[in-house]
Amino acid sequence: MKIKIIISLLVFVITATAFIYNKPPHKLTYLKLVIPKGWPKPSNDIFLANPLTEEGFVLGRKLFYDGRLSKDGNFPCAGCHQQFAAFATYAHDFSHGFNNSFTKRNAPALFNLAWMKEMHWDGGINHLEVQPLSPITGTNEMAETLPGVLAKIKEDTAYQRLFKAAFSDGIINSQHLLKALAQFTGSIQSYNSKYDKVKRGEDSFTVSEAAGYKVFLANCNGCHKEPLFTDNTFRNNGLPLNEQLKDMGRMGITGNPADSLKFKVPSLRNCSITFPYMHDGRFLSIGNVINHYRTDIDTTQKILDELLKKRLIISNQEKLDLTNFLTALKDEQMLRDPRYQEPNYIYRSPDIH
Amino acid sequence: MKMPSVFCWLFFLTSCRIAGAQVNKQPQPDIKVTFVNIINKLPLVLDSAKYINCFKETFTISRLNYYISNVSLQTTGKKTIPELNSYHLINEEDTASKSFSFFISPNQYTSLSFLIGVDSLKNVSGAQTGALDPLNGMFWTWNTGYIMFKMEGNSPSSSVVNNKIEYHIGGFSGANNVLRKVHLNLNDTFFIHQEKITEIIIKVDLDKIWNAQHDLKIMKTPVCTTPGVLAAGIADNYSKAFEIIKIIHQ
Repeated sequence: MKIKIIISLLVFVITATAFIYNKPPHKLTYLKLVIPKGWPKPSNDIFLANPLTEEGFVLGRKLFYDGRLSKDGNFPCAGCHQQFAAFATYAHDFSHGFNNSFTKRNAPALFNLAWMKEMHWDGGINHLEVQPLSPITGTNEMAETLPGVLAKIKEDTAYQRLFKAAFSDGIINSQHLLKALAQFTGSIQSYNSKYDKVKRGEDSFTVSEAAGYKVFLANCNGCHKEPLFTDNTFRNNGLPLNEQLKDMGRMGITGNPADSLKFKVPSLRNCSITFPYMHDGRFLSIGNVINHYRTDIDTTQKILDELLKKRLIISNQEKLDLTNFLTALKDEQMLRDPRYQEPNYIYRSPDIH
Repeated sequence: MKMPSVFCWLFFLTSCRIAGAQVNKQPQPDIKVTFVNIINKLPLVLDSAKYINCFKETFTISRLNYYISNVSLQTTGKKTIPELNSYHLINEEDTASKSFSFFISPNQYTSLSFLIGVDSLKNVSGAQTGALDPLNGMFWTWNTGYIMFKMEGNSPSSSVVNNKIEYHIGGFSGANNVLRKVHLNLNDTFFIHQEKITEIIIKVDLDKIWNAQHDLKIMKTPVCTTPGVLAAGIADNYSKAFEIIKIIHQ
């Protein structure tokens, strides 16, 4: 009997010791990016070194909606990237930043970022994880510093809990903050517009939308390529230089004169709610944009894109049909998806700065 | 009989762990690399000390940071033994940052190599931590990539605001890549012993930045904050600044 008890005790002690050595594994709920049927593979696997998890996503979402990422608390990421505007700034050519300042470019919509190789209108940012550094530290945007942000959120017990849940060591540092933000923004996906439903056989175009789709395929698909409605290239689309901004686009990054006035081709998904258009928000309506391509392309520019050397021939009827087709790219599901909403979201009138 | 067999297994597993831990604790051969920043034989003193370059231009230095990465040693058998996870940010204001040590197998070594800057892979791989944390202020937010070398100061020869000198040298790809590999011979082939620290002291003569390969007068180019031909030229110059002055076996 005695021996049995001693042995049991020993087994207990040793098992307990083994438990101390082998901490229970950190539990994570892994998520998968949806790759809709017929879509290309994401251009670079942004979640390869940053596995997408529910815990990381939830942390990233809290950070995205948190004003403490800005100097005075007024400018969360979501201030300029509003869900109801497909995560662009609704009806603003330039967004508003710290101390009554303006941004220098139109805030891009955020969705399907896993398919985007480079961020910014000039492609200056090469990885989604390091993208937030630009708005966080921009003096005309959130005007904070990384140490400033970290000091604020380290004190918050909710963050301590969320970082521990998302990352095994629970450390609150810039790397984890940026990876969590990338998990949230990289998960925002748009693939449920009327167009997508028509493609899946769940809906059908109106006569005008169907006619507009044909106009689109004949004139726009060269750059705004289906199904992403962008080919993620940089092109000079014949816009005259904005003399006040003197924004040279891609050339500012590459230093190559051949990249003069080239800007990233934006996706046309959700474009009916991401007005105003172009890098400087110079066009207020889709009609203005179509007019640019029909009549206003500056054909004297040397670097003008090959596909635009001849102005597009689009009749007024075709313009109307094309506008209707482009409106069918609006993805209501994404715009209302509670997954992308601020946690404990309570409706209030939109922040208009 | 069942109980004792379980006990044996557990004991076996536990002892394995302990044995493993003991192996890790064994003292390892050690190498230390120290960088001493100077300006033409004079010690570098930030802000206060005045220096004169070969073009008779007076200047002061207020800040100096640079990355050293991918450190390796080459053996007599021409094998390259790398330091693992080798990224170091040398900050003139922080003495501790100017030395680093690492484990390396005992062997006969003939030379030391490293990169001035952060290799291109880490420039395209998203958020990093440690020496590569963007909060160290060595990361561009407008054009992704590390500032490999940062030197700031003042000079009456500079015509920009506040007579500033500002060199933020970066760019990791293409013709104007500023990454420079430095290869330094250890003179005597030396043996790194177990249980002894070998310290390699490297002098970094920043005076070379003006004329080691290209003549770069402060008057003409007081500022360089974007990748390009000038940045590559400055990198050519500072890549010649590194020289081993002493090897100490402690």
